[in-house]
Amino acid sequence: MSVRTPIDTRSMRLPAWAVGLTVFALLVGGVYFASNLAGESPPFAIPGASGPAPGPSGGADPAVGEALISQATPPCTSCHGPDLAGSGNFPSLHGVAEGPKSENLQDLAAANPDTWIHLWIDGTTPETEGIDRGGMPMFGEQFTPEQIDSIVAYLETLP
Amino acid sequence: MTVNPKVNPKKLRPYDTPPKRRRSPIPGAPDSAANGFLAAAAIWFSLASGLGVLAILLRIGHFNITFPLGLFELAFQLDERRVDTAFVNATVYGWLTNAGFAAIVFMTPRLTGRRLVGVPGLNIANAIWNLTLLGGLAALTVFDLGPNQPLTAIPWLMTGGLAFAALIVTGSVLATIGSSLRTAYVSVWFACIALLGLLGMLGLIATVGIVDWFIHFDELPLALFSAFVERAIPALWLLGMAYAMLHYVVPRAVGHPLASGGLAILTWLAWLVLAPASALAALADPSIPFFVVTIGAVATMLLLLPASFAVVNLTSTVRGRWSVLLGPGPAAAAFVSVVFLLASTLLAGIRSLEDVATFVGGTEWDNGLFIWTMYGAFTLSALAIAQHAFPRTLKRAWSPTLLSAAAMWLVFVGVTVAGVALMGGGIAEGSFLAQGTASEDIDAGILGYQAVAFSAFGLVALGALAHLADMFLLFTSARPVEYAIPGASAAAVASH
Repeated sequence: MSVRTPIDTRSMRLPAWAVGLTVFALLVGGVYFASNLAGESPPFAIPGASGPAPGPSGGADPAVGEALISQATPPCTSCHGPDLAGSGNFPSLHGVAEGPKSENLQDLAAANPDTWIHLWIDGTTPETEGIDRGGMPMFGEQFTPEQIDSIVAYLETLP
Repeated sequence: MTVNPKVNPKKLRPYDTPPKRRRSPIPGAPDSAANGFLAAAAIWFSLASGLGVLAILLRIGHFNITFPLGLFELAFQLDERRVDTAFVNATVYGWLTNAGFAAIVFMTPRLTGRRLVGVPGLNIANAIWNLTLLGGLAALTVFDLGPNQPLTAIPWLMTGGLAFAALIVTGSVLATIGSSLRTAYVSVWFACIALLGLLGMLGLIATVGIVDWFIHFDELPLALFSAFVERAIPALWLLGMAYAMLHYVVPRAVGHPLASGGLAILTWLAWLVLAPASALAALADPSIPFFVVTIGAVATMLLLLPASFAVVNLTSTVRGRWSVLLGPGPAAAAFVSVVFLLASTLLAGIRSLEDVATFVGGTEWDNGLFIWTMYGAFTLSALAIAQHAFPRTLKRAWSPTLLSAAAMWLVFVGVTVAGVALMGGGIAEGSFLAQGTASEDIDAGILGYQAVAFSAFGLVALGALAHLADMFLLFTSARPVEYAIPGASAAAVASH
């Protein structure tokens, strides 16, 4: 049964401007898509979990650490530069495996030669009390110790 | 007195009484299904907005309530996440879905010129949907929410109940539309796809829940699936129904023909393609190829296209009758909804940009956008259809009252202020986080924004109560009038 449309329409024609706008929007969308093909999403924040997703092994994983660096709030790259080679007053993180470059961390590294990076990134433990953090967040409030281990594992791979 | 037409009264002997007509316990009158869903929607609107006020209060106060139930070591728990989850479920599945069902069963017979099929079944679906949802909300306060986003947090058995009710509604609507879909008005097309989208998503949630019961998925795939559904249901079901309702109400309320049928079809096509794709943006994780997430982000941005088309089309439809937008009534609510639709779609597009997502993702900004989308765009279109439909389904004369004006303007002011406050708070929160500020200082810094949002959302809750009271008074004290009967004939319906 053919039914007369109960709500009349003034015109069934498709306005030319709408077609033009659609084509333009699709072009812009296509350009945006093409220019954003490379990249990697940060780890998905699972609701109810205490922090971002841990690494698949559950232990120190440099690949997970690399992803966590951009997942951190603020991301490490926002202060230490896009390639973590330092920016302004913020030191380079390259070569941290050989020891701290900042004066304020020498004592911490001397007292905790194996764990000083972990302690410094965490920032919530008694060992780092009283040290001027110079704007460095306490990532122990965001990440689990295992995740900080992964971040350290990644930083130690930087030449 | 009602007489069975099969009995000839002339043949009755004097001592005989005419046989009594058996009345089914399940209402079967043509508009009873729309009435039922509209009434349920109004109650859920009040409940959901009340939960919203509580959710903001919990974010300010950071307090929990827990007490053991003394049964299987279960405990009643009320914390930030659980109240947020209940608020989202009450809003989406309670208020907006009941309003959407009401709109579909109201519009379909009027737009197709056919009598609605299976009205008693629709009333049963109403009971199943709302009782299951109540049970689901109760379950949220007791059971572990797992890695779920709010819209998949209800236990799968209850989601199965919701899917069953949605299946009944879909079956009834599709049977009513039948072969007239091709020639039907664009609102029917929007509603059909939206309804199928809801049914598909609910079926998927229940199926994944059943499979997980047996083979236990890892947390990450479950969380990603949940995030996808969380985006897909508003984009497919709620947005589709908002377009359906607005394209129906605006021409009806202003008494003008729709400005452009071609533009309406282009709006439908653009939404049909972009809405499902936009949900892919939620799958942001290294395990998902990055181009998939980018497709989702692009589709989210391009959703501005159908929104712009709808704004132009509906504004052109109103042209010459701007005065109706100033009074309390469906036209004003629909028009404000159109403005919120455009604004929230624009903001969602901006939010999908990677840098913006990094800055405001997970902050109060997202909650502000949620309020603008759900309580601005979708709620006001639902209010518009409710104010248009309820007098017709109840056969009562509608006239503007203080309560109908209050419902509309309290919601408008409350949503505007609460959304702006939360988005402002989110920007502040993002700035604090970027500076590495301690969480206590962040809480203190955004307290003012949250307090404003709390007060403003209180106005929305008052607006919801005003809407409920307005509908109740319309039912009890408005003057009875006759409208054209849906399904009588298309010509008769045309003036309805």
